[in-house]
Amino acid sequence: MRATIADTFRSEWTKFRTIPSNISTMLTAVVLMVGLGTVTAYRAGEGYQAAASRAFDATYISMYGGFLFAEIAVGALGVLVMTSEYVTGMIRTSLTVVPRRGRLLAAKVGLFGGIALVAGEVASFASFLLGQAAIGAAGAPTATLGQPGVLRAVAGMGLIWGLVGLVGVALGCLLRSTMMAVTVLVAVNFLIPIIGPRLLPESAGEVLMTYWPISAGLQVATTVQNADRLTPWAGLGLMAAFTAVLLAMAFALFYSRDA
Amino acid sequence: MIQLEGLTKRYGDRTAVDGLTFTVEPGRVTGFLGPNGAGKSTTMRMILGLDRPDEGRVRVNGRDYVDAPLPMREVGALLDARAVHGRRTARNHLLWLAHSNAIPGKRVDEVLHLVGLGSVTRKRSGTFSLGMSQRLGIAAALLGDSKVLLFDEPVNGLDPEGIKWIRELMRGLADDGRTVLVSSHLMSEMALTADHLVVIGKGKLIADVEMREFVRHSSGVLVRAEDQGLLTRRLTEAGACVEPGAEGALVVTGLEAKEIGRLATEARVVLSELTPQRLSLEEAYMNLTRDSLEFQAVVA
Ligand SMILES: Nc1ncnc2c1ncn2[C@@H]1O[C@H](COP(=O)(O)OP(=O)(O)OP(=O)(O)O)[C@@H](O)[C@H]1O
Ligand SMILES: [Mg+2]
Repeated sequence: MRATIADTFRSEWTKFRTIPSNISTMLTAVVLMVGLGTVTAYRAGEGYQAAASRAFDATYISMYGGFLFAEIAVGALGVLVMTSEYVTGMIRTSLTVVPRRGRLLAAKVGLFGGIALVAGEVASFASFLLGQAAIGAAGAPTATLGQPGVLRAVAGMGLIWGLVGLVGVALGCLLRSTMMAVTVLVAVNFLIPIIGPRLLPESAGEVLMTYWPISAGLQVATTVQNADRLTPWAGLGLMAAFTAVLLAMAFALFYSRDA
Repeated sequence: MIQLEGLTKRYGDRTAVDGLTFTVEPGRVTGFLGPNGAGKSTTMRMILGLDRPDEGRVRVNGRDYVDAPLPMREVGALLDARAVHGRRTARNHLLWLAHSNAIPGKRVDEVLHLVGLGSVTRKRSGTFSLGMSQRLGIAAALLGDSKVLLFDEPVNGLDPEGIKWIRELMRGLADDGRTVLVSSHLMSEMALTADHLVVIGKGKLIADVEMREFVRHSSGVLVRAEDQGLLTRRLTEAGACVEPGAEGALVVTGLEAKEIGRLATEARVVLSELTPQRLSLEEAYMNLTRDSLEFQAVVA
């Protein structure tokens, strides 16, 4: 008999679900996305002006407001998947029972990426549906899943959740400290893309808004193409590539360093 | 069986483990001794592949531990009893361990009862006392029914009843034919448990001896004589080891008192004292490690 990656995966799932706050944090992220998304959507609906109707992206608006907060929770949870092992010293136990390091990290990445993706899809669809109701109630035109690009945008938002979760896992693995990893995470996914463009000269700000990983990735959740930005799939591809590079660094370091 | 060959580990410019070569045999308890910072924990981490050696190699049951098809069948280890997530229950802690090696859940309940934690299986491990954590760590080490067991200072925090229990447990595991390596800095503890001793100091091997042999070497005979020079010569010729003791006495090892008396009579040396004495094992161990540290200082 031989232990397989399926056993490692199951073990990681047991590890994840037996800390009660893991599940509740994920649920909080979903609630934040849906709740704040709906509120923001209603406010945006109120501010709708027919003159600018071409730029009004009811799909994106119904999800983005809540996403900003939810992504911090998802990313931080991803960080904790790794750093909690280092803080408690449990990493040595984990690597004693699963000495193949690549396998252990792959199981963690696969499991948490999967959890974040599933939660993200649920949150995105719920946020979209409730958001459209709110926008309609505010008297603005709404979107339906059947319209061109809408299904891609909503499902794409779930993918972004998965990627944000993986960035968290990678940062947790690279930095091993919860504080440092969460700080970097907030900077990368929140502060730099949102505040950065206001502090920089306009041309540099444009570059940031177009190519910064999370900003590029979020293009997949839009249904109105801004000519200055990447297309939805190119943007998502850029963010996925960035995540892959971080993960590759995490694997290389995890493999070579002392546990 | 665990085989170490020239195992070396450096942290920066500090050599924590320095060319260690020894074999831990199955069927007996091997005590792994050394003062604080001697490199015992580091060695154990290298056996498990947690720390990468700078030089040398270690094999567990004939291969690198990382290549074990079912790692928990090969080695069960207790490194640090506090290294658990305090918000997980005892049972759930063992459950994720069990799942990683396809061990059925009923084995979890079995080992929990075995270590005496049957009544607190659903309590968070963060609420445990040090002794209870130690028992949970031992349960984790036993979970896989492994051929090799590593215990890093397992008696820490255990009450006298617990200490007696783990002593018997380790004996039982060795009698089953398993390989048991247990570290400690207390010789007195090892004297009651170990069949074999590996002593290290400053990362270097000091002794790799049978417990029986060690006990024999720790006893000597205190001798006072008029012509010490002549007696020393005769005793040395007869294969004894003679060292200066307190207040001009000689400490002789390797010969019985009766034998020494006979040699003295033959050499016509007048004896004023001939006292067989038994160093405590603790003292013998201290002598051993102190010598190694002095030796180190001279070399450096
Ligand atoms: N991760 C590390 N980084 C730097 N130095 C280390 C590390 N781990 C151990 N050391 C050093 O290596 C030496 C050996 O430490 P180790 O913990 O192996 O000793 P030990 O024999 O287990 O001691 P004790 O009886 O106190 O547990 C010590 O000087 C320690 O400071
Ligand atoms: Mg130690």
